[in-house]
Amino acid sequence: MTELTIGHFYPDLLNLYGDRGNVLALYRRAVLRGIRTEVRSISVGDELKGDEIDIAFLGGGQDSEQNIMNSDLRNVKGKTITGMIESGVVFLCICGGYQMLGRYYKEIDGSTLECLGYLDLYTEGRPERFINDTVYELTLDDGSKATIVGFENHSGRTYFGDGSDGRKVVKPFMKVITGHGNNGEDGYEGAVYKNTFCTYSHGSLLPKNPEITDMLLLRALKRKYGEDYILPPLDSSVELRAKEQALDYIKNGKEQMI
Amino acid sequence: MIRKDLAFIAAKTSRKVLRLMGKGATTLPGKLALKTDPTVIRRTAAGKNIITITGTNGKTTTSHMISDMLNTLGYDVVNNISGANLATGLATTLICGKDEIKKAKGESKGTVYVLETDEAAFAKTAKDLAPKVCVVTNLFRDQLDRYGELTHTRDMIKKGTGSTDAVLVLNADDSLVASIGQGREEKAFFYGMNKDSMKENNIRYPVKKSVIPASPDAVYCPECKVRYEYEARSFGHLGDFRCPSCGVRSPKDHISVRYDLSRSPSSDDYGITIRNEETGRDIDMTLKIPGAHNIYNTCAAVSAVTAFLKCVEKDITEDEIFEKAVKSQDNVEAAFGRMEKIEIGNKKICILLVKNPVGLESSLDLVARSEDAGGLMMLLSSNFADGKDISWIWDVDIEAKAEDLPKNVAVSGQRYEDMRLRLAYAGMDVKEAGDMDNASAILKGLLDSCGDGECLYVLPNYTSMLALRAMLVKEYDLKDFWK
Repeated sequence: MTELTIGHFYPDLLNLYGDRGNVLALYRRAVLRGIRTEVRSISVGDELKGDEIDIAFLGGGQDSEQNIMNSDLRNVKGKTITGMIESGVVFLCICGGYQMLGRYYKEIDGSTLECLGYLDLYTEGRPERFINDTVYELTLDDGSKATIVGFENHSGRTYFGDGSDGRKVVKPFMKVITGHGNNGEDGYEGAVYKNTFCTYSHGSLLPKNPEITDMLLLRALKRKYGEDYILPPLDSSVELRAKEQALDYIKNGKEQMI
Repeated sequence: MIRKDLAFIAAKTSRKVLRLMGKGATTLPGKLALKTDPTVIRRTAAGKNIITITGTNGKTTTSHMISDMLNTLGYDVVNNISGANLATGLATTLICGKDEIKKAKGESKGTVYVLETDEAAFAKTAKDLAPKVCVVTNLFRDQLDRYGELTHTRDMIKKGTGSTDAVLVLNADDSLVASIGQGREEKAFFYGMNKDSMKENNIRYPVKKSVIPASPDAVYCPECKVRYEYEARSFGHLGDFRCPSCGVRSPKDHISVRYDLSRSPSSDDYGITIRNEETGRDIDMTLKIPGAHNIYNTCAAVSAVTAFLKCVEKDITEDEIFEKAVKSQDNVEAAFGRMEKIEIGNKKICILLVKNPVGLESSLDLVARSEDAGGLMMLLSSNFADGKDISWIWDVDIEAKAEDLPKNVAVSGQRYEDMRLRLAYAGMDVKEAGDMDNASAILKGLLDSCGDGECLYVLPNYTSMLALRAMLVKEYDLKDFWK
């Protein structure tokens, strides 16, 4: 029987803006395909067996809670996590989880939070917070394009480095159609390295974008069961109707007050 | 002096004009007055008996309860009942509120202003309001974009309470709220679930969790960054907490409640026992508005009224005051859109406003445990007043409750497809779906498929509640909210 283990990192600390929905989407679309799926919660004080995790999820949290997580990430679990990333475990990292894999987060007042420093990217806080619906274009593994809908809520601006100090070079995850993306300047959203996908998109991201859910599931299962693994087909009509309505709302939505 | 008079004229005239136009006029008059005279709140609040109620959830219900109770006890009451809880709404109420004073039966003991206050507005206006009693109900995640971090909201409220001489009525089970009383113990009046009772209920009725349990809001001590240990819990992060590092713990209640979760919340005589822990006096009472969150609101209201009476009525013992406060609960009714029940033939509609994860969690819990639940309708809109971000619907463990919820389910609101998807991922099959234009027809269809004596539970968020309620006003002869 096909089996899948999802590692939900720091669920009691990184639990904002519907990020739980991403784990639920992965779980549900796996279970409906007859895949035996386990969700493991891995927080401060919990043992992490990296080689037992097929898909890892790191969400975003409030600042004070992200600081607690940051210290556990850097001092306790960091080495295992970078090993997992390097060995191709599928990661989805949203907002705080994204920033934490980079070099640092520099606040507006200049104070700097050192992060895991594995990926060559860094984040700087700005006074204006990007809080809005978003639309992106994603190129899928088969080369086709998908329209992705989400919601961003971040004051950090993320920039990529060139890997000159030995850190891992990332590529952008998606192209921004509506919204601000990584920094409001270069038109890109998120970062990719191997099977690690990072984005600012809450929403929740995965429920309305089954294309990404399936891409993550397929990558994880191919890694586990070989390149010939085929993901069984699954109906996506409820997901895609919600995406259509969200896109229509973003384009034409008006205040409807009585 | 002239400025103040001008501010009054601006407020009162605009109120009259707006009312003639059929509007509620709950904020604009105050806005004009504040523009004319920025000190108008301080000037108009001076010398008045004021009780403020702030916190994330339960503000409106608790204010409503306190108002009804004080009325019963012989006080004239003025309040901002329609939820106009920003500085503008407070100014409107202070200036024009006497137009809508609720007169006590018989001889009046005086007038009390019972003001529900937005958390941020409280911080700004507390000093000017100079209330006698400040109630803080709870702090949960709600539109974080607007308020920022929960600890920040806590700090704001603490700054507000620090600028007054008020008695603070605080929820002892909420670690963030309880910490507002630190350093001010002599003026803090704590309330909460009776700790033993909470423990018994935890053992007898453990909370169901799915494979992806939802995570409560504030389970780490903000000072020590260590996870709290809980002896017992009620819901969300509320419970008998203790930090294993600094030792800070849920304070001793002044007034507490014993409850029993075995009974259906929809039963008409849901009994609780309310206890004055200082004197040991126990009183059995019927919960007027169902649900665990309303046990807290009831306890908050009894505590606030007790604290207020202790300030203003002399020559009366603590137990006599406490008994009066509990007795005055008899005439309490649900506030607009909050557990409001509408009888239609031999069926009922019950509206439960839900605006944030913990509100949705406790409302669904209530529906799941109600014997009379014949249908469920969820409405989701994303107007500015709701918050543009609807992602919070995923932060609730609906999966764990799905099998106990009615099968007769429909969705509406601007974002009904998001809600349909949310419920589908909880394994629930949505029978009818459509936008606000279709909400009324959908509601009727659901009600038709409810059996005799059953209740259709309707869970809208803020603007979809306003819109839906306006439809019900037309069709079922409900009151307009400002009347």
